[in-house]
Amino acid sequence: MTNRTNGGSPVTHPQAFHTVPTAVIAEAEQRDRYPKSSELKTLSAFFESGQKRLEIAAALTQNADKIVAAGANRIFTGGSPMAYLERPTDPIGMPGSRYYIGEDYLSANVRHRRGKGTSITQFKEPQSIDSTNTLVDQIASLFAQGRPSVPSRFRTISIAKYGTARMKRSMRDLAWFLRYVTYAMVAGDTSIITVNTRGLRGVIPEDVTLATVVALREMQWKAGQCLLPDSNAAALVKRYFEVLITDYLVEKPDDRLRIGVSKLHPGQPLPQSYYQSALPTPKLVVKPGLSETELQEAIRAAYRQVLERDVTQAYGLAASDLESKLRSGLYSMKEFVRHLGKSRLYRREFYEPFTISRVIELAHRHFLGRGLSCLEEFQTYFDVISEGGLPALVDALVDSQEYADYFGEETVPYLRGLGIEAQECRNWGPQLDLFKYSAPARKVPQFVTTFARAQKPLPDQHPYGVGNDPLEIQFGAIFPDETRHPSAQPAHFSSTSRRILISSGLQNGRRHNGHVEPNASAHLGRVPGLFGQSVFKLEPSHQPERGSHPQGPNVNLAHHSMDAVILGAYRQVFGREVFDSQRQDVAETKLKGGEITLRDFVRQLAYSRAFRQMYWENLYITKSIECIHRRLLGRPTYGRAELNRYYDIAGKAGFYALVDAIIDSPEYAQVFGDETVPYDRYLTPRGYALRSPQGPTAWGKPRHNPAIAGEWMAAQSTAQSAAQSAAQSAAQSTAQSASAVAVLDRQAEPASMAPSPVPNLAPEAAAHNGHPSSPPAAKPEPMATAAQPSEANSP
Amino acid sequence: MSLIKQVILNADEELRYPTPGELRMIQTFCQSGAERIQLVKQLEAKAPTIVEKGTRQFWKICPRTPSNSGNRIKTASAKRDVGWYIRLISYCLLAGNDRPLQEIGLTGMKDLYANVGIPLTNILQYMRCLKAEAIKQLDAATAEEVIPYFDQIIQYIALPGPPYFINDGVGESIPVV
Repeated sequence: MTNRTNGGSPVTHPQAFHTVPTAVIAEAEQRDRYPKSSELKTLSAFFESGQKRLEIAAALTQNADKIVAAGANRIFTGGSPMAYLERPTDPIGMPGSRYYIGEDYLSANVRHRRGKGTSITQFKEPQSIDSTNTLVDQIASLFAQGRPSVPSRFRTISIAKYGTARMKRSMRDLAWFLRYVTYAMVAGDTSIITVNTRGLRGVIPEDVTLATVVALREMQWKAGQCLLPDSNAAALVKRYFEVLITDYLVEKPDDRLRIGVSKLHPGQPLPQSYYQSALPTPKLVVKPGLSETELQEAIRAAYRQVLERDVTQAYGLAASDLESKLRSGLYSMKEFVRHLGKSRLYRREFYEPFTISRVIELAHRHFLGRGLSCLEEFQTYFDVISEGGLPALVDALVDSQEYADYFGEETVPYLRGLGIEAQECRNWGPQLDLFKYSAPARKVPQFVTTFARAQKPLPDQHPYGVGNDPLEIQFGAIFPDETRHPSAQPAHFSSTSRRILISSGLQNGRRHNGHVEPNASAHLGRVPGLFGQSVFKLEPSHQPERGSHPQGPNVNLAHHSMDAVILGAYRQVFGREVFDSQRQDVAETKLKGGEITLRDFVRQLAYSRAFRQMYWENLYITKSIECIHRRLLGRPTYGRAELNRYYDIAGKAGFYALVDAIIDSPEYAQVFGDETVPYDRYLTPRGYALRSPQGPTAWGKPRHNPAIAGEWMAAQSTAQSAAQSAAQSAAQSTAQSASAVAVLDRQAEPASMAPSPVPNLAPEAAAHNGHPSSPPAAKPEPMATAAQPSEANSP
Repeated sequence: MSLIKQVILNADEELRYPTPGELRMIQTFCQSGAERIQLVKQLEAKAPTIVEKGTRQFWKICPRTPSNSGNRIKTASAKRDVGWYIRLISYCLLAGNDRPLQEIGLTGMKDLYANVGIPLTNILQYMRCLKAEAIKQLDAATAEEVIPYFDQIIQYIALPGPPYFINDGVGESIPVV
């Protein structure tokens, strides 16, 4: 049985390959020092060769098609293999790509024109060659010098027999090989080739191995030809191709296995390529005949691993007794580590300030180089530490089989993080945290709590951890709970979990058991206008040719005039009122003339450039879909399943299809129909606070309460009724209301002189309540009937 | 993550060769390589002086602080920590962008100091002193390259995080003065 829980997913940047600068920096950082002069020399050599390498890369780019064609023509006969090479489509139109094809074309032109005057070497755009040229090329190359010979076993492949699908795949692979050689040339390091091609033989069918190698050799030769005047460059390219071919021919290396901690939690394999792409971790081994500097380095590494700091550097004190024993060979590295763990310093730094659970977690990092793997493991070691204290724990860890397997007697323990070996899903997040420099600053145990949480029912939170996605608009936004100290703790949502919209019932207004429940999604639209929003509806009276409404035209112009509806539509679709230049005049005119329905008008707004720019081009796709969905359908998506459908549409058919899918959905028709402007059907209090001008912070601010709540409430109710009656009288007659205001003002004057405990409320109300502190002289006299505050409250 | 890696990753993402513009970017990066190595050497040579004098200056502004409490270990670890930041800056100079500083140093820095109990205000003052000292110690050309990274650290400490409600801890939405 495997445990499928997950431990959260903090962002990581796995190392895909290394370049010279990253390798130097990583090396220096791991050893806690400035780059050495030898490393700097490597770097400067790298920089100096930069110009040359970039020229080569540019030349390869420019001749890419020629080179690929040479390789392909060598192994395929009976047609033009280049016809099967599919060019990558431009990534336009996907959210986040930030450019249109038109813009790119223009900017490319500008670049091209500007380029002619500058002094820096120009790199030319890649040219595609005519496929008719290939025959000429082929004949020419037949007579060329130094072509690689072909092994006698090799037979050319007939295109017709090989089939279109396989042809396409082969051509893609050949182009891919050349592209990676170019990348490696730019990086100045063959690591990227090694990482990506070693083991490929197992992926590409075995029977074409020979053909692939022949094609690669041909490409190697052709690339050399393209760079020929410069023999150094040609040699360099040749070397890179050589690495490619050698690595391609190597058998697929075995996976690296990680040993599991128990039968319930088995180990995991890590493909070799991940291991190679990781930055080299210095594995320091202490052996008898080691030089002083190397020994010093190993000792410092041990301090860094066990005590998490370079003790010698900061404190100037060191376990000199232990060190001398290690130097003299009395202690092995394992014993040295054990005694470091039992030292006073370790006890003070990693035992005394923490709870037992956290001590166990930190000790795992220090002695085994990993985090706790499962709850059972934690229980085992908890037992050990409660029985025998810290020394027993250290002994148990250092004497464990795992320590012996990984580090043995001589190796200094190291962190077995991402890239070194397979990482487990269930402790992913906590383990990444544990390896950070700041781990000892965290006092709360992290692994145990995560494991415990996995056994509880799903909490109301974002699946990847609260605070993972801060905007209200995003997935999981409907559970507004933890705001102050959001934890990165994950919730174990799976693809089958559903979100429930509050007060919509368990059905969520969706199909149940395959058939549409009557009135099912009507729940959603039942209480519009909850937070003071209003529903704009296009009444038939606006559109003359639709026939007259039985009740006659609606005269409430604030909500039902054409302009109000249009403005409302803009406000809903864009989230704000748009600038004049962004208005869709044509669509507006059509709507006013009755040519299109309001639904089509909304569609036109969503199609517009401004909308696309706002909600599509600059966002990542999940957020983009969430935003658009919320704008057009008035609710967040229900969950993963629904989002998946939209991903599919967005990926395959693009933005406009997505908009259409939403607007043409049955739900839209049922809830808004043709005549209603979409409105927010799901609004949380926090979401509301987010939109208020005070911003979200206003929501959590303490209320400004007066000292005595009872008094405040009494005053409040009086003030309200006073305002009400004043409004009533204002409605009765305008002339009277003018005098009423004047009277109210005069009333206010004497009352304000009285020391009132409630400064911000209507003073006359406080006076009327017969507050003891207000002097009787300040009490206003009833002057006119219209000015009487209210019958109920007058004495 | 150096500039070169960034370019290759981007190109690979879109299944294309590096564009001429990107190549030109790397070209300038390589051309300035030798200068940047010189900068690193200079910074490395001056780092102890900057730390030493910057600490003196810091103690003048903030006399009551753990590093000035007379505890030798605390003083030494404070100096080690700021020396570490200066070293990260030297990595940034080599990589050509701020990713090393961001990834190794700044992420989680506030949490760390909040948990250890060192007021962020003090760290901020300390960094400002170091910046002033670095301007004094280094020549103009070097300072021009180095100071932006100091500014980045200072800004990271001084400014609140992203303007969302999730960051509500001390030193987050309440800016450190």
